[in-house]
Amino acid sequence: MIPFEMVEPRSLDEAIAMLDPQEPTIRAIAGGTALMLMMKAGVFQPTRLICLHKIEPEHGHIGVTGKGDLRIGAMATLTEVEKDSNVAARLPVLTRALLTLSNPRVRNVACVGGALAHGDPHMDLPPVLVALGARITIKGPAQTRELPLEELYAGYYETVLEKNELISAVTLPALDGRKAAYMKVTSRSADDWPALGVAVSFTLKDGAIRDPIVVVSAATEKVTRLANAEKMLQGAATDDTALTRAGNAAAEEASILTDAHGSAAYKRELLRVYLRRAVRRALDESAAPQ
Amino acid sequence: MNQIGREIPRLEVRAKVTGRADYTHNFRLPGMLYGKVFRSTVPHGRILEIDTEAARALAGVHRVITGEDIRKLIPEPYYGPAFHDQPILALDKVRHVGEPVAVVLASDPHIAEQAVQLISADYEELPAVYDEVAAMAPDILVHDVLRPAGTFVDLKHLKGRGGTNVALDYHLRRGDADAALARADHVIEHIFKTQQCLHLALEPFVSLAEPGDQRLTIYTANQSPSFVRIEIARLFGWPENRVRVKVPYLGGGFGGKLYIKLEALVAALAMIVRRPVKIALTMEEQFYMITKHATTFRIKSGVGKDGRLVARTCEVYWNGGAYADIGPRVAQKSGFTAAGPYDIDNVSVDSYEIYTNRTPAGALRGFGVPQLVWAYESHTDLIAHQLGIDPVEFRRKNLLRDGRPHASGTVLNDAAIPEVFDAVVARMGWDKPFDRGSGTLRRGRGVAIGLKAVISPTTSVAIVNISADGSTTLYTGTVDMGQGSDTAYALIVGEVLGLNAEEVRVVHSDTDVTPYDMGTLGSRSLYHMGNAMRLAAEDARAKLRALATEAGLPEGTNYPPSEIFKKRYGMQAGNVIGTASFVPSYTPPDPQTGQSDNVTPFWMVGGSGVEVEVDTETGRFRIVRLINAVDCGKPLNPGVARTQVSGAAIMQLGFTLSEVMVLDGGQVTNASLADYKIPGIGDIPSMEAELVAGEQHSGPFGAKGIGESGTFGVSPAIANAIHDAVGVRIMELPITAEAVLRALRAKDGHPLDDE
Repeated sequence: MIPFEMVEPRSLDEAIAMLDPQEPTIRAIAGGTALMLMMKAGVFQPTRLICLHKIEPEHGHIGVTGKGDLRIGAMATLTEVEKDSNVAARLPVLTRALLTLSNPRVRNVACVGGALAHGDPHMDLPPVLVALGARITIKGPAQTRELPLEELYAGYYETVLEKNELISAVTLPALDGRKAAYMKVTSRSADDWPALGVAVSFTLKDGAIRDPIVVVSAATEKVTRLANAEKMLQGAATDDTALTRAGNAAAEEASILTDAHGSAAYKRELLRVYLRRAVRRALDESAAPQ
Repeated sequence: MNQIGREIPRLEVRAKVTGRADYTHNFRLPGMLYGKVFRSTVPHGRILEIDTEAARALAGVHRVITGEDIRKLIPEPYYGPAFHDQPILALDKVRHVGEPVAVVLASDPHIAEQAVQLISADYEELPAVYDEVAAMAPDILVHDVLRPAGTFVDLKHLKGRGGTNVALDYHLRRGDADAALARADHVIEHIFKTQQCLHLALEPFVSLAEPGDQRLTIYTANQSPSFVRIEIARLFGWPENRVRVKVPYLGGGFGGKLYIKLEALVAALAMIVRRPVKIALTMEEQFYMITKHATTFRIKSGVGKDGRLVARTCEVYWNGGAYADIGPRVAQKSGFTAAGPYDIDNVSVDSYEIYTNRTPAGALRGFGVPQLVWAYESHTDLIAHQLGIDPVEFRRKNLLRDGRPHASGTVLNDAAIPEVFDAVVARMGWDKPFDRGSGTLRRGRGVAIGLKAVISPTTSVAIVNISADGSTTLYTGTVDMGQGSDTAYALIVGEVLGLNAEEVRVVHSDTDVTPYDMGTLGSRSLYHMGNAMRLAAEDARAKLRALATEAGLPEGTNYPPSEIFKKRYGMQAGNVIGTASFVPSYTPPDPQTGQSDNVTPFWMVGGSGVEVEVDTETGRFRIVRLINAVDCGKPLNPGVARTQVSGAAIMQLGFTLSEVMVLDGGQVTNASLADYKIPGIGDIPSMEAELVAGEQHSGPFGAKGIGESGTFGVSPAIANAIHDAVGVRIMELPITAEAVLRALRAKDGHPLDDE
C-alpha cells in the first residue's frame, strides 16, 4: 500500500466539503472493510481519505421517528444494528440477516452507509433493505435528497451518488404485518461472498400473497427488483405450484452473470429454488414467536 | 516419569498465544533495505527490454536490480533442488505470469512498492502451454534444454535433454500388466483430474539476508535450512561455513517453504548492495511462488470373477509449472505408490513431471499422494459399483497386508492398512441401517484409504548437550512450523535421560549451531530426526557414565549429573555433548522397473469415512460426518497427533471443495484470500480423528510420521459418499455444488446450459 493523506473532519458538512466531485482518488472512509481490500489489492490508490469517525455522533444513531419509521444513521456499525432492540422488535428479518453477514470482526467496524454506497452486488444489506422498502437520505454540498434505496444502484459497483455526496441515513417503514425473509447461497466457503441473494417481503391476506417485493442480488450486476416475479406472486397462493411458477419467472427475468461463484445457468437454477424457499421461510419465521 | 505417550501441550504454545514467539516477519536490521518484486505479466515470452529508469528516478529508491545485474555477480544464477532451472531473476525469457523480473530496493517499503509500478518490460510473446497432457507434445517448449541438478543420481540421465517438456519420466513394472488385463474378466478404466491449488500459509514467504565480512547470514521462513546453506554456497562458489541460515518458528509451511524460495534472491541482492535486504511477500504474491500439482491420472484395472484385482496400469501426468522445484521427486517418490494399498500382482506405473507455463508446483502436505488417492479410491469405488460388490467388502478382499510385496517389490511391514480400514468402517457403523434421507435431501456414505512411503534415503543429525548442572539442551535442524516437533524431540530426549520434556531446552534451525537435516518435509522428521535424537541422547548418557568413571565413581551408582560434573571438574563446569546421525538403509529402485527390496523405511496409512447429505435441487451438499483414521505407530504425544490428523483433513477439505487457482491466459484471476477460498470455521464438519496405534519397529520408541496421513482419504471418500447418495460421479476436483447439480441434470437427461 502506498502512503496517502488522511483527514478527520469534525462534521458531516465539513467532510462533504472536502470531497471533490472531479477527483476519484479522494474518498470518504468509515469502517473501511471494503475500501481497505481494494487498497491492498492496488485496485484503489487514494491520495486522500476523509475519515468519518469524528463527525457528529448523531449520524450513528438508531431510533424510531415520530411517524413510526426506523431511522438508522449511516455511521451506525452493523453490530450496532444487529444488537439494536428496536431493530429486533420491528424488523427481525434484518437482525437475522446481519447475523449471517460476513463475520463479527467485519460487522464491528463496517458502517451502514458504506455497506449501501459501495455498490458491490454481493453485499447482504442492500437486498434486505430494498425488500423492506428502505429510503436513503443523501447529503451533498448544496442539498439533501431522499431516494428509494433500489434507485441508488446504477450498475456493477455503480451508484447514482455524486462523488461529493454521502448517504447520511436510511429510513425503514414499519413492517405492519408484512412477512419478509432473506436467503443467500455461498458456493465456495461458508464465509464467501454469496453466489445469490434473494430477499422477499409481502402481505398475506386470506391465504394469498399481496404487494410482494422480490429482490435478487449477488448473481446480477446490481441489486434488482424482479417485476415479473412480483406479478406472478401478486394474489397467488403459497403452494409449491405458485411458488415454482414465480421462481421460474424470476429465473427468466433476472440478467444473471457468470463469475467465480458459478455459471449463470447454475445460478438461475438456484434462483428458481431459492425464491420459493425464501417465501416459505418468510411464512415460517412469521409463524414462529420472535 | 515415562515421557513416551504423555499428552502435553506444545512447548512453544504460551510464547505463541502471547505474541512472544519469533517470526522472520518481525526481524529488522540497521541499514536494511526492503525489496519489492516486479513480476512478469505474460506467461511465456522473450525479454526485449526492461525499463527501470522512472523507478530509479523516484526519490528514496536505492537501486533497481534485474537478472543481468545478478548474472554479473553469479555467472550461472540458476537454482533448484532437482533441476538448476530457475533464475534468481528472469533471464532472457519469462515462463509464467508472476515470475520475478526485477527488484526495487528502498529503505521505505512503500516507496519500493510505488517504484515497482513505474517499471515496464517489453516481451516478445511466445505461445504458452498450460495443460499437462497438452504439454506432453513438444510443440511449445518451456525450456530449451533440461538442467538436472546432480543432487539426485537418478535424474542424471536427463542432463542436456532437449525438445521436451517432460522433466521426469518414471516407470514401474511388476508382473505383466498388459497380459493380465487381456486375461481379466473385467477391465475398467477411468481418467481423474485434480486442480492447481496452493499452500497459502498465513505467514507469507519472507527472507532477510545480511552480508558480513566474507560471509552471509540469512534469516528466513524456510523448511530446509541445511539445503538453503548448501545451495547458496554453491551459487556463490563458497564453502558451506561462510553461509549461516537461521529459521525461527514458521507461520505454516505445508511444503511451500521447502528448498529455496526467496533466499537466493535476498542473498544476491544483499551481496550486490552490501546492505541487509528483506523481502516479504504479500498474501497475493504467494500465488506466483509455488503450488500443488494439477494432475491427470488415467487408471485401468483388471478384475477377476472373484472380485480380486489382477492388474492395474497407471499413467499420471503432473503439471509442474514453469520450474521443476521438487516436482520430479513428487512424480517419482509418490508415483510409485500410484496403484494404491492393494495386493495386485501385475502393475505398471508411468509418471510424468511436465513443464507448463504456470506457477511452479512442488510438494504440498502429502507430496503428491492425495492426488493419487483421489483417483485410485474413486476408481476402486466405481469398480465395486460396476461389479455389484459392496465397496467395503471389495476393498477388504484386495487390501495389501504386512508380509506381502508392494508393487515396488518391497515387502510391506509395519503398515496398518487393514487396521486403519477396519477403524474407519467400525466408526461408520457400515453394517448398521443407514438413513438415506428422503425428498430432495438424500444421504450417502463413502470410504477411502491411501498409502504413502516416506522419501528415502534422507539424513538427520542431532546433538544433545548436558550442562554442568544437569540441564539439557537439544539441537535440531527440524523446523517447527506448528507440527510439534520441538515437543516430540524433548519427549524423546527426556525419555532417554530421565527428564521431563518441559525441562529440555530446544534450539532449532541455525546452521552455525544446529547440525545437518535434510529438511522438514514429507512426514520424515519424527522418524529420522527422532531416531537421531534418541541416539544422540543415548550417546550423551554413555558419555556421562564415562565421565562418572573418570571421576572415580563406582559403576552403577546413582549420582545426579551435577554431582558427576562437580566430581570430575572440581566445580560446576564442563558439559557432555551427545551426537548421532541417522540415515536408514535403502535399495535404489531399478531404473527400468522401479523394483527394490527396500524402497522406504516406513509406510504411512490414512483412511477416511464420510457421510453426506445432498440437496438434489441445488447440488449443494453437507458433510454430516468426517472420520479420519491413521496409522501412527506408537503416538509420542497423542493430543498433538490427533490435531495433526484433523488439521491435515481440514486442509484437504479445502482442496476438495473450494480451492482452485483459476487461470485466464496464464493469469491467476483469483489471487487473493477474498477469491481463493480456504475453509473457514463455518466449513468444518463434525470430525473424528482416530489414531490406530501400532508399532513402527524401526522408529524412535515405535513412532512414525503422521503430518500428511490425514489428507489421504478425504477427497475420494466425499466423492464416493455423493455417488452413494445420488448416483452421480465427480471425476475432477474441486467437487462443487454446481458440478453435482450438472451431473444430476445430465443423468436425468436435462443437462444445464454451459453458461
